[in-house]
Amino acid sequence: MAHPLRDKAAISGIGETAYSRGTSKSGLALQLEASLRAIEDAGLSPRDIDGIVPYFPGGGIAEDFIANLGLPDVTLSLFVPMGGATCVAAIQSAAMAVATGVCKNVLISVGRTGYSGARVSTRLQQFPQFALAAEYEAPIGMFAPAQLYAQGARRHMELYGTTARHFAEIAVTTREHAILNGNVVMNKPLTVEEHHASRMISDPFRLFDCSLESDGGAAIIVSAADRAKSLRKPLVTVMGVAEGHPESPASIAQRPDLLEFGLVKAAKRGYEMAGVGPKDMNLAEIYDCFTFTVIRQLEILGFCKTGEGGPFVMDGRIKLGGALPINTHGGLLSQGHVVGLNHVIELTRQLRGEAGKAQVKKAEMGLVTGYGDMGDGSLAILRRAA
Amino acid sequence: MSTTATAPAPERPLPVPTRESQPHWDGMREGRFLLQHCLGCGKVRHYPRPVCPHCFSLESEFKEAPITGKVHTWTVCHHPFNFFFKQQAPYIVALIDMDAGVRVNAPLRGITEANLKIGQRVQMKFEPVNKETTLPFFVAA
Repeated sequence: MAHPLRDKAAISGIGETAYSRGTSKSGLALQLEASLRAIEDAGLSPRDIDGIVPYFPGGGIAEDFIANLGLPDVTLSLFVPMGGATCVAAIQSAAMAVATGVCKNVLISVGRTGYSGARVSTRLQQFPQFALAAEYEAPIGMFAPAQLYAQGARRHMELYGTTARHFAEIAVTTREHAILNGNVVMNKPLTVEEHHASRMISDPFRLFDCSLESDGGAAIIVSAADRAKSLRKPLVTVMGVAEGHPESPASIAQRPDLLEFGLVKAAKRGYEMAGVGPKDMNLAEIYDCFTFTVIRQLEILGFCKTGEGGPFVMDGRIKLGGALPINTHGGLLSQGHVVGLNHVIELTRQLRGEAGKAQVKKAEMGLVTGYGDMGDGSLAILRRAA
Repeated sequence: MSTTATAPAPERPLPVPTRESQPHWDGMREGRFLLQHCLGCGKVRHYPRPVCPHCFSLESEFKEAPITGKVHTWTVCHHPFNFFFKQQAPYIVALIDMDAGVRVNAPLRGITEANLKIGQRVQMKFEPVNKETTLPFFVAA
């Protein structure tokens, strides 16, 4: 029997602000600007929004949306505190809400001043999920995700022979794709040599292995699939969606296997719900806070075996025109950091056939992942309705 | 170049012990590596927390544990995300599989990056950073 939530929800609207480094706007203003664009894209009125799931902490809360958009009757306000796994995991919550009739149209949104506002090492100290890192790791000189995640990357290199050349392939490919998009922070070509020459941040991560600190807003609308059919844009449904939490979720150091992300659990359930597997994907938008994080997630998702992620990304396989194009918009590495909601937006755009120069031919089904908060994971499998 | 005032030294981030972790940090100050053990099933757990995830007992005790272990992985921090660590960069932070069955993340000193490998034996040392707080670091065993 098919999973009761399969194809019951749709991504009915998508919206983004310009991505930049430097803005005078607040995170809330960016979030609302993107939200209005998503609502317009769906062909809805702001008054049609009755579910609010903002990225938290940072940006607005339901009260701000009610006050700014004059929402008459919000029936659901919730946070999904999973860091970079939040946006994709929020689709699961939103799908449950629209499939049961609790909500008609749920707004998932992000507004960020990650460049012009508080920077990453300051911001994370305030997250309750980072309390253990603050107590045990900040005092010995480990603060930022670049440092905390670097140890897992180093272990993968030592165990499996993964190299900086593999990391560079992710960075260079993602940049090539970004240049086709137009709305990106990094719009100049990047070479493997430039990647290797970029300064070391926390070994093995160089500058160009790290995602951007940028300003911008992004939003999507999740509606019941049967209602979304009559909305403005081609129907893109949520076939499968899941979130997963790793063992020792707030401390990578104490996790039995550092490379066992929450995505291990989410991928299994997400594929099962959708009734499909990795071979069915025409493209993948993979959460790319770091180049290595993409490599490991491709393994977890079953595109290749554990330890083979490095060689897998070589030889054009992940480029547009390759067997599995990934991060066709430029990702967090080159487009902008809106906690991966831009990945959901790009997958939706691809499945609608609206991806312009970066359009993947025959993009009928694809997946998008989230990764964050020391290893929480999420997966959504979307498809264009037949 | 002359300066009329010296900028205040950047503050070192320090652990703020919780009710659960206080005995661990008290032990560090005394140069002892104390770990939380369940009184119900005897299993060790780190970092300290209220409930044993194996038997759900709320009762625990802190016992001194061996300070030896082996390298699980490491990073070399070049970019100082906090200004306090600017003078020290680059520095190695190694994640150690302690013989006691938990992990400790701490600076590894006296070993060069080129000579590091998984499984290398190390031993914990104690470095007082002020009257209340002592932090761990590692050296080759």
